[in-house]
Amino acid sequence: MNNEQLARQLQQDTATFERDRVPAFATVFSAAEMRVANARRRRYAGGLVAAAAVIAIVASLGPATEPDWQYVDPVLFASTTSWEAPSDVLLPQHSVDLFEDIPVLIEGTKIDGGALL
Amino acid sequence: MRDSDVLENNPRVSRSALEAIHGQVFGWALSRCNYEQQLAEDLVQQAYVELLTGKAQFTGGSSLKTFVFAVVQNLARSRFRRRATHLRLVHRAAPVDDVSHLEEPQEHSALWRAVQELPGRQRDIIELVFCRDLTVEEAAQIMGVTTGTGRVHYDRAKKALRKKLENE
Repeated sequence: MNNEQLARQLQQDTATFERDRVPAFATVFSAAEMRVANARRRRYAGGLVAAAAVIAIVASLGPATEPDWQYVDPVLFASTTSWEAPSDVLLPQHSVDLFEDIPVLIEGTKIDGGALL
Repeated sequence: MRDSDVLENNPRVSRSALEAIHGQVFGWALSRCNYEQQLAEDLVQQAYVELLTGKAQFTGGSSLKTFVFAVVQNLARSRFRRRATHLRLVHRAAPVDDVSHLEEPQEHSALWRAVQELPGRQRDIIELVFCRDLTVEEAAQIMGVTTGTGRVHYDRAKKALRKKLENE
């Protein structure tokens, strides 16, 4: 058997064996394309997560900001009759007069049997 | 070659050119994986991934077929080495009848059986030259050996093959 005969015989055997075994090119190639696209998507998502993490870390490590202090005149403060808490915005009515509903604790100064009336 | 046909990261490679050699590439992958269909499909798919991403960059230094065959060969050597070793061990340990997925084309001819019995490199060069229509130089390039070494394997393989066939 010369080289040509060997080659022909082997090519026949190979072709017979592979005839029904080779999957369609489109199937294999599109699966490969999908893998590449998925890998790219995962890489972008990973990048975004990493960037968000870096931003969060940098923000937490940044210089602490001083609270916005406001000078309040003590004299003015002592004479004020109303006060509005920051959380008062949550109430239906703001800036309630402190003395509006002061309960009357002592009705009089007269004593009856050792007790105030 | 249509522009849309060209791979984005591999400007010298087109889908249609790959499609034309797909059958041959798959056959080569099959023989790299002990004729396990699923493994061969994974191998070819991985080779296409390498081409699509541009990790395997075709520069035109050889034919596309030689290049893709070499990519398949390298992938089989690296990523599939462990799996292939496992398959070979299974093949050796278990009787052939018990290993249904190792379906080699042994039923076809005495010639094919004789080729399969050759040492690895001789078998590869005979497959590449006789079955896949490549030159000895191209086959040597795919196998990662010099042309001289390729010729030695080729001559020895032919001699061994003739001897086997004469004895049968």
